[in-house]
Amino acid sequence: MSLTLPQCYLADLPPEAQVTPALIRDAWLSVLRNREHYLVRRATSSILRDLESAAALWRAQDSPYRRLALDLGPAQTGFSAPILEEGLSQLFGSLTVAQLEAWVEQDLGHPSRLDAFCATGPERASHRRSKAVGPSALAHITAGNIPPAGVLNVVSGLLVRSAQFVKCAAGGSWVPRLFAHSLREINPHLGACLEIAEWPRERTDLTEALIADAECVTASGSDEAISALRSAVPVTKRFVAYGHRVSFAYIAADAMGPGQIETLAARAARDVCAWNQQGCLSPHVIYVQETGAEDFARHLAAALDAAEQTHPRGPLPDADAATIRSRRSFYEVRAAASRETRLWHSNPSTAWTVVYEANPQFQASCLNRFVYVKGVDALETALQGADRLRRHVSTVGLAASPAHASELAARLADWGVTRICPLGQMQDPPPLWRHDGRPALTDLVRWTDWEEEAPSHTHP
Amino acid sequence: MHANLSALARDLGAFFTETLQARRAPRGSRREEGPEPNLGSDSRPGRAALRQGQGHRGHESPTETQNAPVHPSRSPAPGGSFLTPAPAEESRFNHLAQQLFALQFALNPPYRALCLARGVTPHRVSDWQEIPAVPASAFKEFAFTCLPESERTIRFESSGTTQSVRSQGHHSRESLRLYEASLLPWFQHHLLPETLQADNADPGHWDFISLTPPLAQAPRSSLVHMLDAIQRQPWFSQAGFVGRTGPDGTWSLDLGALEAAIQQAHTRSQAVTLAGTAFNWVHLLENPDVDRLRLPQASRLMETGGYKGRSRELSRDQLHKELSARLGVARENIVTEYGMCELSSQAYDQVAGGRCPQRVLRFPPWARVTVVSPETGLEVANGESGLVRVLDLANAFSVMAVETEDLAIRHPDGIELLGRNRQTEPRGCSLLSA
Repeated sequence: MSLTLPQCYLADLPPEAQVTPALIRDAWLSVLRNREHYLVRRATSSILRDLESAAALWRAQDSPYRRLALDLGPAQTGFSAPILEEGLSQLFGSLTVAQLEAWVEQDLGHPSRLDAFCATGPERASHRRSKAVGPSALAHITAGNIPPAGVLNVVSGLLVRSAQFVKCAAGGSWVPRLFAHSLREINPHLGACLEIAEWPRERTDLTEALIADAECVTASGSDEAISALRSAVPVTKRFVAYGHRVSFAYIAADAMGPGQIETLAARAARDVCAWNQQGCLSPHVIYVQETGAEDFARHLAAALDAAEQTHPRGPLPDADAATIRSRRSFYEVRAAASRETRLWHSNPSTAWTVVYEANPQFQASCLNRFVYVKGVDALETALQGADRLRRHVSTVGLAASPAHASELAARLADWGVTRICPLGQMQDPPPLWRHDGRPALTDLVRWTDWEEEAPSHTHP
Repeated sequence: MHANLSALARDLGAFFTETLQARRAPRGSRREEGPEPNLGSDSRPGRAALRQGQGHRGHESPTETQNAPVHPSRSPAPGGSFLTPAPAEESRFNHLAQQLFALQFALNPPYRALCLARGVTPHRVSDWQEIPAVPASAFKEFAFTCLPESERTIRFESSGTTQSVRSQGHHSRESLRLYEASLLPWFQHHLLPETLQADNADPGHWDFISLTPPLAQAPRSSLVHMLDAIQRQPWFSQAGFVGRTGPDGTWSLDLGALEAAIQQAHTRSQAVTLAGTAFNWVHLLENPDVDRLRLPQASRLMETGGYKGRSRELSRDQLHKELSARLGVARENIVTEYGMCELSSQAYDQVAGGRCPQRVLRFPPWARVTVVSPETGLEVANGESGLVRVLDLANAFSVMAVETEDLAIRHPDGIELLGRNRQTEPRGCSLLSA
């Protein structure tokens, strides 16, 4: 089954077509009008059903969207087809009515919070009912390093019934755009409340036009990009920022039982391969407690080698491959001079690299399957090694015995980590995860509290 | 110093002089790329061979030219040309490289460890291309030098931000002698080709002005060392440095001093050679008084290095265009130099005043540049891009084979730089912004 995408969104225009500030203003007018007609009074349950149906279009093996994403995706996104397939299956598998409803309930306290005034226990006790209202015009400025982020942006905006404009990084609109088309197939009205475009960061005139008509702006990207946007968004508009985050894994000694090392290495390899480490949730460093770190690194190298056969990383631009090559060569010199450093890598390609170092200092990876393994005596040593990143760590992939895990989780929470998950699932957060420790829907809405008259205050 | 290395360094110095003379010696009708300005540059290997033996000057047979075989860049013509070594030179180069490798292997412990890790020992190497290259980033952590500690009297450091760890190159009086034996003739060849002509050998027609601070204010800069060695040459009757190092280590420009130096040159009817880094030049262009400067005719500029965040960045083409327009210097008199503190030889993209159809960076005959695929480490084909690797015999007291972090396109007779100074070495946690 083949599919030709109709020209519905700015991102569908041929490359020679120029996005202009006037086009952006027109697009806002049109999505805002469509929101008034088709979205603002729609029931949450109906939106959830449509979202699940759109996700289902992607789950079927013969789905034209899936095929298109996998056939043309490698050229569009730089990810190999198996990597796209794995990541997209994970993403669309999680977009179900049950999950989405749970998300609304979790972030807003009640599944009908967006439909009507409703009350939870404490609200009832104080004779209040509350309704959450999303922004009329919601702009997303996405970093575009991995596809799920843009899709989840669209989902969150639909849940709060906003007219949306998703601005993707240059070259980053492919999957969000296909998702918008799938949504349009399920319900053209929903798809018409959405605009998708891409332009490079340097085009500040376009970004200014985008912000001018938005009521709320979300942004993800480097701290530098966020800071520039923060100053471009007037204080009268809400600005929700997701800055740069890094992640690491921690394997406690009690997780490394007999025969466990290979399983753990395979799980760690899965985290390194998912979206080729491009996401903020991918591990840069894997800390291994006790003496098995070097042995673990060797097993991880074997697991990455095996993963390259089934889920190849795909080709890299010269500059990225050069970065890997130069950094590898640096560690090769260090490894030749000292027993405290060891290096394993694919040959003769840059497909994967494992650097073992005894030094517990956190080391940011150059990504694309370049990972550090570091030996530590205890979690505390790892946290000291990562101390300078303290407010920048998103996820810790944890492997520890159940008894030990809760103690480690408490310490990690105290230290500032915002997500702890089993090793092997670092890049698979559920949609309702609290992105960077913040409830995503809560950050978008404003509340209306309705204080009803208490029975005792009846007028004479 | 190890007596064998000292002896080899003397041989290398002689090789530099002899090989340059041999390449310049007329073979056949004319030189392929002479040092004279306005000489047509013909870089195709094989031409010299055809021209050899032609009895008359300035005339070539079109038929012969069309039938000229196109050799790959490393299959030199029987007689060699200015840009391609003759077999005798290639064999001597190879011999010297192997001798040097044996000594560097013996005298340089971190290098020996790397070679052993790669399974390469001197007796297994039969061609210079098999000599292991050290990544430039490793100079930040290891002293890749054959000099005993007591002889490491001068240290070069890479430029960079104050937070970054810097590469280090160690020198002694002896190693600087070889360094100068490499840098001076290649600078002269590209910036002052007139001084090479027999009928125009009268020295002192030139003034030299460097936009960098003087050596006393930048003792760790290999570039300033190089410019200091240059300004001492008899080609110049006056020389000066108009840059200043501030208390925070940044370089600035004293426009008044520059203006005075240029005025003096005008008064004495001297042409000027000006040298500076790309950011020096941008600082100059940003000065509102720059339009007051008019350089004497035939003056020339040397531009080198990256921006390192010290000024706004212009493309090389844009920088040269603005320099030409604002300072009144023809584009063909603006020469780009490529060098680094880990190497002793430099590359230039053209002979001043020359009309190179394509400006590619060329190292001197005692260095060989290879462009390797970052993916496979193998040499790329002409027209393809990769990492720049240089084997520099003038690096006798350090390691001669260095793999840089710079990407370039390979051309038949040189390289075209794509980007410089990517910070790929681990930078602690400053990588957060990566």
